[in-house]
Amino acid sequence: MIELLPLINMMILLVTALLIVFIPIKRFGVIKIIGSLAFSLVLIFSVVTLLHVQANGAISYIFGGYERFIGVELYIDVFASLFTFFIGLLGLLTFIYSIGYVHKEVEKTQYSRYYVLIFILFFAAYGIIYTNDLFNTYVFMEILSLTACGIVSIKRKRKNYMASFRYLILNEIGSLSFLFGTALLYMITGYTNITLVNDALQDVWHLYPVNIVVASGFMIVGVGIKAAIFPFHVWLPDAHSSAPIPSHAILSAVVLKLNLIVLVKVLYNVFGANVMTSLNIPLFTGVIAGTGMIMGSVFAIAQHDIKRILAYSSVAQVGYIVLGISLMTHLGQAASYFHVFSHGMMKSALFFSAGCIIYVSGVRDVRKYNGMFKLMPLPVITFSLAALGMIGIPLTSGFLSKYYLGMAALDANQGIFVLVIIISSILNAIYYLPIVIRSFLQEPSSELNEISDSSIPYTMMIPVSIFAILILVLGIYPGILTDIIDGAIMSVVGGWQ
Amino acid sequence: MSALFDNIINHINQIGACALIVIGLYIVVMHTNMIKRIIGINIFGTGVFYFFVSIGYVRGGQIPIVNGDESGVMINPLPSVLILTGIVVVVSITVYAMSLVIKIYEGYGTMDQAEITRMKSGENND
Repeated sequence: MIELLPLINMMILLVTALLIVFIPIKRFGVIKIIGSLAFSLVLIFSVVTLLHVQANGAISYIFGGYERFIGVELYIDVFASLFTFFIGLLGLLTFIYSIGYVHKEVEKTQYSRYYVLIFILFFAAYGIIYTNDLFNTYVFMEILSLTACGIVSIKRKRKNYMASFRYLILNEIGSLSFLFGTALLYMITGYTNITLVNDALQDVWHLYPVNIVVASGFMIVGVGIKAAIFPFHVWLPDAHSSAPIPSHAILSAVVLKLNLIVLVKVLYNVFGANVMTSLNIPLFTGVIAGTGMIMGSVFAIAQHDIKRILAYSSVAQVGYIVLGISLMTHLGQAASYFHVFSHGMMKSALFFSAGCIIYVSGVRDVRKYNGMFKLMPLPVITFSLAALGMIGIPLTSGFLSKYYLGMAALDANQGIFVLVIIISSILNAIYYLPIVIRSFLQEPSSELNEISDSSIPYTMMIPVSIFAILILVLGIYPGILTDIIDGAIMSVVGGWQ
Repeated sequence: MSALFDNIINHINQIGACALIVIGLYIVVMHTNMIKRIIGINIFGTGVFYFFVSIGYVRGGQIPIVNGDESGVMINPLPSVLILTGIVVVVSITVYAMSLVIKIYEGYGTMDQAEITRMKSGENND
C-alpha cells in the first residue's frame, strides 16, 4: 500500500483539479474545503513516503507492467520524497494564503480556473520529481510551463498577456532544447530511462564526446532558460511581477526550483559526476552562476517596485543553488539543497508579507514604506526576518546556507566563489536593509495613517507566521534537515564519488 | 571528396533536421512579429521531432506491425510513439500562444513586440 502512495498523491492532485471544474462559483466555500483537504492529504502522504523510503530504500513503479526500457518508470528515492514533501508544504500554505487574497487580484469568474491551474501545476511538479524517464520529464515540464503561463495571464490585463507570451515562447525554446538533448542521448544509448542511460553512458562516453557535449549543452541551456539562470533571465521580472501575489510565490519557490531539480538530475543522474567533470562542464555552470549571483542583485538595486525587487532577487538566489550544484562535491550538493529549502521559505515569507501590506494599503513602491511598522507590525516583522535571512544574518536559515556554500567552495579549492558570495551578500544588504530601516525608524506619512493590520484575514497571517517560524527553527536547528539531505545525496544515482 | 559526399548523403536526415532547428531559432530570435515567432517555434519543434523520429529508422527495415511474418529487421517504433505526444504538446502550446496574441492585439492594437515595448515603457508598473 505504501508503495502506491506516490501514485495516489498524483491522482489526488489531478482529480481535485477536475472536480473543481464542476463546482459552481457560488459555492466557493466548497473549493476552499476540497483544496485544503487535498493538499493536507498530499502533504501527509509525502511525509509517510519519506519515512518509508528512508527506512526501506527506494520505490520503483513501472506503468503498465512493461519492461524498464519501454515503460515509464517512477523512481522515488530519498531525494525525490524530500523535495515532494517540501513542495507539498509550500502548496498547502500557499493555498491557505490564496483563499484570503484571491479576490483582490483575480476576477470572480476566474476563481475556479485559477485553482484548476494551481492543482495541475502541482501535479506536474510531483510528476517531474518522481519520474525516472527523460521523455516523461519533457512532457511534465511542458505541463508545468503551460500552467505557469496560464497563472501569469489570469489577471485579465494586456500587460499580463504580454508577459505571459514572452514567458511561453522562451519556455518553449527551453523545452524543445531539452528534447533535442534527449534525442542525442537516445541516439547513443537507445534508452530514455535515466538509470539505463546513465549505465550505458558510463561505458561508452569517451567514444562519443562530441555527442555528449552537444547533448549536455542543449539540456543545460534548455533547463537554464526555464530556471532563469543569469543570461536567460529576461522573461522573469515581467512574468513574475505581473502575476497575482500568491502565485508569485509559487512561480518563484516551486517552478524555478523544479527546473533546478531537473538540472540536478541531468548533471548527476543522467550523465554522472565523473563524465561531467572530465568534460569540464561544471566550470562553465559555475562561472555563469557566479555572474548571476552578482548581476541579479545589481539589477535589484535599481528597482523601486517591491515585486520587481523580489523577482530580480530570485535571479541571484538561483545562482547560489547552481553554484552549489556545479561544485560537484558532496558538500556543494548539500549546500544547494539546503538553500532550495531556505530560499523557498524566505521568498515565500517575503512575498506573503509584502502581499499583506499590499492587501491593506495597496502600496508597492518601497519608497512609501515609511513607518510601516507602526501601522502593520506583524507583516513588517516577518518581512524583516526574511529580509535578514536573505542578507545572511546569523540565526536565520539564510546565514547557514551561505555558510555551507562558502565552506563547500573552500573544500573544492575554489576560494574565489567565497568572495563572490560575500559581494553578493553586501549587494543584498544594499537593497533589503533600506526597506527594513525605512519601515521601522521613520515616521509614517499622513496619507497612510488610516490603515492597520486588523483587516488582514487570518488565512493570510497564519501561513506568513509559519514561514517566519520555520526560518528561525531551520537557522537554529539545521540538523533536522541536513541529516535527511545527506541521505538524499547518497541516494542520487551515480552521484559524487 | 566522394567520402564527404557519401557522409552527407548518409546523414541527410540529421542535416535537414539541424537546418530546420537553426531556421526556427533564427525566426524566434530575430523577428518581432508575434505570429512569426509562433511559426518559428513550430519550425524549431518540427526540426527536433524530425531528428528524433529519424533516429528510429533502419535502412531496409519493415514497418513494425506484427503479422506472423517477422523475417528481417524492423523500424524502431518507439521514437515515433514518443513524438506523437510531443506533437500534441506543441499544438496545444501553439493554440494557447495564438489566443494570447488575439488578446494582446485587442489590448495594444498591434502584433509587433518592439512597438509594444515602446508603448509599455510609458505605462506605470502595477
